[in-house]
Amino acid sequence: MRRFLTLATVIVTALLLQTTVLADIRLLGARPELMYLLTIVFAMLEGPSSGAVTGFAGGMAQDFLLNQPKGITALTLTLLGYAVGLLRQYVVSPSPVLPVVVVASGTFCGVLFYGLVSFLLGQFDSTAVYLFRVAGLSAAYNAILTPLVYPVLRRAAEASRSRRVVRW
Amino acid sequence: MAIPTRARSARLIVVALVSVSLLTITVDYREGDNGPLASLGRTALTVMSPLQEVVSKVTHPIGNFFSTLVRLPAIRTENEDLKDRLAQAESQLATASQVEQRLHEVEGLLGVTQSLGPNVRTIAAQVIAKGVSNFEWTITINEGSNHGIKLDQPVVASGKRLVGHVVRVAPDSSIVQLIVDPDSAVAGRLEFSRTTGLLTGQSDQDMKMGLVDTTTEVQAGEQVFTAGYRIPGGAQSMYPPGILIGTVSHVVPDVAALEKFITVAPAVDFSSLDIVLVVLSGGSR
Repeated sequence: MRRFLTLATVIVTALLLQTTVLADIRLLGARPELMYLLTIVFAMLEGPSSGAVTGFAGGMAQDFLLNQPKGITALTLTLLGYAVGLLRQYVVSPSPVLPVVVVASGTFCGVLFYGLVSFLLGQFDSTAVYLFRVAGLSAAYNAILTPLVYPVLRRAAEASRSRRVVRW
Repeated sequence: MAIPTRARSARLIVVALVSVSLLTITVDYREGDNGPLASLGRTALTVMSPLQEVVSKVTHPIGNFFSTLVRLPAIRTENEDLKDRLAQAESQLATASQVEQRLHEVEGLLGVTQSLGPNVRTIAAQVIAKGVSNFEWTITINEGSNHGIKLDQPVVASGKRLVGHVVRVAPDSSIVQLIVDPDSAVAGRLEFSRTTGLLTGQSDQDMKMGLVDTTTEVQAGEQVFTAGYRIPGGAQSMYPPGILIGTVSHVVPDVAALEKFITVAPAVDFSSLDIVLVVLSGGSR
């Protein structure tokens, strides 16, 4: 229950920030993708299943505020969370730069995947160049935001996990 | 064997979630805007929008600040660009007002030309220099003998006001002695009494009007026009009649003197002369 509340709070907060503060900050035609960042960080901290659940929930939440076929973001983020969670198990590095790198590459791949799915559904009406540019820029912005967001999310994740440890 | 189990459960979860996502995509895609998912989306939007509004109100200035920060170089260049354009517009405005002023002046000159009569030929000239000496009150104009200007031709300004007469002629420029020059003498006629007198220049002070009979009633503010005829004891007037010279500024009531002491302020502000009219014919006869 506590986990659910934490997740819901984090997702709603991220959505609000994404649609208000970050909507104002639109550089070179792109802006940070907070939900991607959130999913990747949770996947890194909690593993593939938590990553997938977080991605699904966050993606669905975001999808329902978008005026296009719902579920694309959810699909993207589910897979993204799962993939990052899996990869994280094989990478053992204490480097503080690691989250930044993972977030950047994860966001890039995620946005590309999102574009691909939209394209297959006939919902994508921009060029591939634009997609790559947006993917690259979002990845860069997310990478910049990571040092700010990562500690907050880690604290939230640890707070929600400690109860579980006590219970089990 | 906890890890394989967890991995399997994770895989299960992912498969389930992906399926749900795909289902959502398909259902929503097929139903379009009227399906239950669309209305659910609208509900979500309805719930979220007040929250968004509140957050936006709080954070909009912050976002603005950041976007301004990011756009600072662009804003700076824009600022410089705008300053440039403002300066340009201001200079254009100044030019325009100058042009307008000149237009007024030229229109005034046109009026003078018409009022001087059909037989009088005139030529407009631009003032290109002011007198070099402190003891000489002259202006230089950009028309000369090539344009028919001869010595002693009268020069007037817009509004039919007397400026002076030509004292030196070059092929393409001439020098005009102003009526305030100490060497200048103009026959003038008082507006009300119709009495004539001789106006001599006194440099930067008002002109002195002499040879006026003591019995004449003269008031300050009275206008003085050129007399345009030979006056007793004076030179023959080279000016056509009826051109405004100035207004009486002072009348010194000196009963003992043989003539009245009158000063006349010139009608023309000689420091701001731009275009003048030289009367080529019909002036002196």
